[in-house]
Amino acid sequence: MEIALIGNPNTGKTTLFNNLTDSYATVGNWPGVTVNPKAGRLKGTATDLIDLPGVYALTPLTKDEEVVTLYLLDHCPDLILNVTNAGQLKRNLLLTLEVREFGQPMILDLNMMDEAAQQGQHFDLAALSQALGCPVVTTNARTRRGLAQLQAQLQAHPQPLAPLKLTYPPQVEQALQQATQALTNDYHVPAPLARWLSLQYMNQNQVVRRAAAFRNLQPLLEQRATYDAQHFEEQIFNTRLAFIEKILAHGQQAPATRAATTVSHRFDQLLTGPWLGLPCFILIFWLIFKLAFDWVGTPLSDGLDALLSGPVAANVNHWLTLLGALPPLRSLVVNGLLAGVGGVLVFLPQIITLFACIAILEDSGYMARAALVMDRLMQIIGLNGKAFIPLLIGFGCNVTGIMAARTVEQPQARLVTTLLTPFMSCSARLPVYSLIVAAFFPHHQAAVVLSIYFLGIGIALLAAKGYQWYFHTTESAALIIELPNYHRPRWDIIWHSTWDKSKGFLHKAGTVIFAGTVLIWALTSFGPTGFVTDPTQSFAAGLGKLSAPCFAPLGFDHWQIITALFTGILAKEVITASMMVMFHATNQTVLIGALSNYLTPGAAYALLAFILLYAPCFATLGTIKQETGSTKWMLWSLVSSLAIAYLVAGLINLGSHWL
Amino acid sequence: MIVFTNLLIIALIVGYAGWQLTKTFKRAKKGKCAACAYDCVLKKAAASRSDSAKI
Repeated sequence: MEIALIGNPNTGKTTLFNNLTDSYATVGNWPGVTVNPKAGRLKGTATDLIDLPGVYALTPLTKDEEVVTLYLLDHCPDLILNVTNAGQLKRNLLLTLEVREFGQPMILDLNMMDEAAQQGQHFDLAALSQALGCPVVTTNARTRRGLAQLQAQLQAHPQPLAPLKLTYPPQVEQALQQATQALTNDYHVPAPLARWLSLQYMNQNQVVRRAAAFRNLQPLLEQRATYDAQHFEEQIFNTRLAFIEKILAHGQQAPATRAATTVSHRFDQLLTGPWLGLPCFILIFWLIFKLAFDWVGTPLSDGLDALLSGPVAANVNHWLTLLGALPPLRSLVVNGLLAGVGGVLVFLPQIITLFACIAILEDSGYMARAALVMDRLMQIIGLNGKAFIPLLIGFGCNVTGIMAARTVEQPQARLVTTLLTPFMSCSARLPVYSLIVAAFFPHHQAAVVLSIYFLGIGIALLAAKGYQWYFHTTESAALIIELPNYHRPRWDIIWHSTWDKSKGFLHKAGTVIFAGTVLIWALTSFGPTGFVTDPTQSFAAGLGKLSAPCFAPLGFDHWQIITALFTGILAKEVITASMMVMFHATNQTVLIGALSNYLTPGAAYALLAFILLYAPCFATLGTIKQETGSTKWMLWSLVSSLAIAYLVAGLINLGSHWL
Repeated sequence: MIVFTNLLIIALIVGYAGWQLTKTFKRAKKGKCAACAYDCVLKKAAASRSDSAKI
């Protein structure tokens, strides 16, 4: 059996999904968190639960919204769980009606009942159930209230329900009956599905229109111009709205007076205000970096480094000698794997702290505000705040950020967002940032890393302006975003989110970082003459020295640093691992000392900027190609980012000489 | 024997690294990173947005 979770964005579907299944999916109370459908197994059963992206209607505006309509057509789930925000029921029911008209068994869940109760709203569940012709339950997914009853209902065999039949204006009804009859008689489409398809076709559902064209459904295709000319979609919307108002008049007791200004509103006056919004945003992120780099992350990282490079390395070396390991094997394990992979793993505390802070921001309701704050800035460059959401996700991983760009409606804006996302500083760059700031800016680590993040945002804004000029974009769509109430973060959600992302980092350590380390060890240990003990005779040195003149204007022309940058295209973490191996550093302190000999602080900052901007990793390039469907844009992203990185790093290095 | 064992272990490590590199390139072509936790089957479902087969 298959159950689909369908609802508006930000109604708590993913929280419900995580509670009802044993799996974990990323939770966030901002749109775009669920871009692909996710599947899980309903606890204690063999039933599949599918979490679909949040949509306001089945008529898709964006690619991720298409997924829901396509899913309904392709999979036809045995049961639909329609999750709604009880506090915003009027708007949520528009989707409910479309799903009920589809005719599959459905349960309506009024979620977030605590917020509705705070607003003084109460519901007559029996009246709602009767009007909609389906069972109605109430839950509060965050506090798990009502979940046991819901689970019992989901486990019961779903009762077949007759599709909801609204009475549309006579013109629409007549057209509906004609189309339904023709589809049933001539194309053998079951009558309820034929009616729903006709209705969706009239409502300008592009997925259904494409499918009708693909299947050559002439009764619909022939009438398309008539439906559009008579504005059937408006008449359908008005009928649905009137129906919702009628049933809510009977099934809902609205508050007698408007609720007093809530705590959320008071916070919003400060955090999303036109003057203080952006400074608050910067302050919040500065505090996060303070925690990650100065207060919590770095001290823990130093401890881990001391452990790995001290007793662990000594013991491994001792045991390898005892077991008869020859120098090349000891070199590979101790100087290669332990130094390289271990050299990246020691930055795990910084990464965990950063992920935990971001999870807190997401779960508390601030992230949706961040998009709103950035909207003002984005409007200036022809993008809206919705484009900032993929960019925000890009701070975690550029690949997922680019995938989240599917939520942007206009194709041009979507393409621009895709091309801008690699400028966002993903978490994979954190280890090398940590290393360089510890070496050159030990007393201002948080401020320097924050400045690099904002440099990425600034470059993205400038690049967006360039794309706006290139595409002759004059208009930008308005941002419509739902601001959830602020609430205290739930620790299990924070833990899951942090662990989920950190697991990805650990997984990379065992795969691509491991592979990159072995590769760089081989390049450093072998040269044209075979196995070399002097690394300056190695292939790695040859590669770095050959490219050194190009990097001289940027302030870093030492071969180890340059060769490390080449390996960064595998994954950005590999840069740190490569430096550890090539500098023969046994721990962070040794590497910091070595770097200090070759770079000035100005050149170090130029190196940070270059690492931020220079080239997306392979996975990001692959995703750009997949999402744009074009090799040309992928190559453009590679070449343009390299050129921008060179220019910016060169300017920084030049500027540092004047200061 | 010791030399053989050493060479074997080095070969295993290098072989595993080579296999991981190949996997990384293959995954990257599909738009996935080494840390990516997306389910392939679901991704295929999302990608099949071009047209519907059921009607």
